[in-house]
Amino acid sequence: MRSKQDTDINSVDWQPFYVTLKLAVATTGLLIVLAAPLAYFLAYARFPGKSLIEALVNLPLALPPTVIGFYLVVFMGPKGAAGRVWEAVTGGSLLFTFLGIVVASTLYSLPFAVQPLKAAFQRIDRRLMESAYVLGLSRVATFLRVIIPNSASGIAAAAILVFLHCMGAFGVLLMVGGSLPGETKVASIAIYEAVEAMKYREAGLMSLCFIPISYAFLLLVNRLNRGA
Amino acid sequence: MVRRSGCGWVLLLVSVLWLIPVSVSAQEKLNAAVAANFIQAFTEISQAFERKTGVKVEATFASTGSLYGQIVNGAPYDLFLSADEDRPARLNREGAGERPFVYARGRCVLWSARKDFCRARDWRTALRGEDVKRVAIANPETAPYGTAARTALVKTGLWEALKQKWVFAQNIAQAFQYASTSATEAGFCAYSSVMSDEGKKGCFYRLEEAPAIVQSACILKRTPHRAAAEAFAAFLASPEADAIKARYGYQ
Amino acid sequence: MSLQIRVRKKLRYFEIDLDFSCPDDHLLVMIGPSGGGKTTLIRMVAGLETPDAGRIAYRGETWFDSERRVDLPPQKRRLGYVFQEYTLFPHLSLYENAAFAAADRAEVDDLFARFGIDHLRGRKPHQVSGGERQRCALCQALARRPRLLLLDEPFSALDVVTRRCLREAVKGLREGLSCPILYVTHDINEALFLADEMVPIVEGRIDRGWMQRTIAPIPDSEEAPLRATRQPRLALVY
Repeated sequence: MRSKQDTDINSVDWQPFYVTLKLAVATTGLLIVLAAPLAYFLAYARFPGKSLIEALVNLPLALPPTVIGFYLVVFMGPKGAAGRVWEAVTGGSLLFTFLGIVVASTLYSLPFAVQPLKAAFQRIDRRLMESAYVLGLSRVATFLRVIIPNSASGIAAAAILVFLHCMGAFGVLLMVGGSLPGETKVASIAIYEAVEAMKYREAGLMSLCFIPISYAFLLLVNRLNRGA
Repeated sequence: MVRRSGCGWVLLLVSVLWLIPVSVSAQEKLNAAVAANFIQAFTEISQAFERKTGVKVEATFASTGSLYGQIVNGAPYDLFLSADEDRPARLNREGAGERPFVYARGRCVLWSARKDFCRARDWRTALRGEDVKRVAIANPETAPYGTAARTALVKTGLWEALKQKWVFAQNIAQAFQYASTSATEAGFCAYSSVMSDEGKKGCFYRLEEAPAIVQSACILKRTPHRAAAEAFAAFLASPEADAIKARYGYQ
Repeated sequence: MSLQIRVRKKLRYFEIDLDFSCPDDHLLVMIGPSGGGKTTLIRMVAGLETPDAGRIAYRGETWFDSERRVDLPPQKRRLGYVFQEYTLFPHLSLYENAAFAAADRAEVDDLFARFGIDHLRGRKPHQVSGGERQRCALCQALARRPRLLLLDEPFSALDVVTRRCLREAVKGLREGLSCPILYVTHDINEALFLADEMVPIVEGRIDRGWMQRTIAPIPDSEEAPLRATRQPRLALVY
């Protein structure tokens, strides 16, 4: 074990930060693509029981991460439905892999993507869509060529929320991660483990690193917002 | 009947909830910080102690590492039941804890929810099995049971050889959860969890190569209930408590 | 008769109940007080709203028939529709807007030249004036080679001078355009200037007497609309 005294900035393991960033980028990308059609559906479709679906989408907001984590371990495990399907298709396991935590945080962050997207879609002038229909565009084409390009601010807001939410994710990943270095050991968990192992100095340094990284992203976001 | 507004109902509910703990707190009470693996045994022991002395022992269950961190930062516990020897000794050295004493010895086992897992000649062969893809192990850096499991694995040369299979749980309870939900094919668990209802559904190997996990405890110096804390410490070593511990797989 | 409309639809305060037709090459103006169901009618023709009952057919092709349960979606009706306020796509330049559903991009160039907005082709809708936007909206609708052109108060949000210019442009447009045009307005002068035929719509029904009542101050009101169409000079009066 490393002695306490020579724990300096160079001895901080950067790999968990890399995993965290990779996770945030992957989840954000995946979630925007998945959440956009869902948000469109929630914004415009009218059918009985829609509020039930809407509540279901928002459920992760109201559930403790531990609840989500607990069920994900069961569902993504080799005996769970998702785990079995995945194994049948790819032959590998989903739980305790990078993809597994991407799935977990995608589910966990779903409302953070759907809400701003839905709001942005609803803000779009209905006549723009009607104009597109009259001009011969199908609903899908209208969605891609008219609604999406005119929802830039909503998409940016969703991406930012999801990204930051992923950076800070802890509880769910603690439950499903398995803490595999370079694979599922993200920065927040590395810090937690360092504290558990009484490596307080290392934990302090890693925590300190989090602040400028998150701050830099928020600045970037600000700049993007002004540019938009 | 007087009509009550929704706000009124909420106020009523809040005040009722507020009153519940107050009505109990008149009794003398100890606060103990207890390592998570000892949950079941502790609950029973504390009930027995309360029946005998009238002193209630409330426990906070968490991992040894985080409890230690809380105590160092001034959490108001009277007793600390660790899952290792190291941290009570440390508290003693730092002047926060009294002299530590051993209250239980745990054993590390290799447990699986699948009965056929235990058909192999020994646990090493079972681990090498082709269909055993993932094995949960409590984080050896932080969890004493994880450290013991790693010791056994290093001793038998499997730690490096089967590196791909290890999945790290935050503590021994999570290792058991992974194994019992079949998220992993097997897990290094505490013998005490094998004795639980869930644990009895599976099968296990003893790990002779793993050292016993010596769990020690200490009374914290800041306790205002020294006499009661000492009485409980003594009770922990009594034959009555030993019987309970034995039932939960501690020696 | 190339466009036949017979529709009924219950609105909040009255019921639309109309039955009329429009021949080819005709510019038919629907006139009447605001909130009388004109826009709803045009939206039903476009397929953006569904009538409760009736039939809409164009050159023998049924677009809507409540009995036969036919309801062609707006995408398949191939028509040009210019809304009351500009509904150009804000993220596209004027040229991209006009070419959005164009049959042939070369036509867009011709149209831009004809409407005098060629120099603005790279601008975004918010960077040009309201009149320029509506010119572009006309180009967008025309570039689709529509079978039917629907203009719903296209110039009512514009200032008087611009409105007059565009009115002239629409009139000029009719040369070389063989499709029927349905034009909604509540402005009598505009109607008088453009119309081949007028359908006064009041509270969802055709009300032939409405014209006379409204233009009552003009003597010999029976002939007023006809005279007005023959005298474009009227346009300079207001």
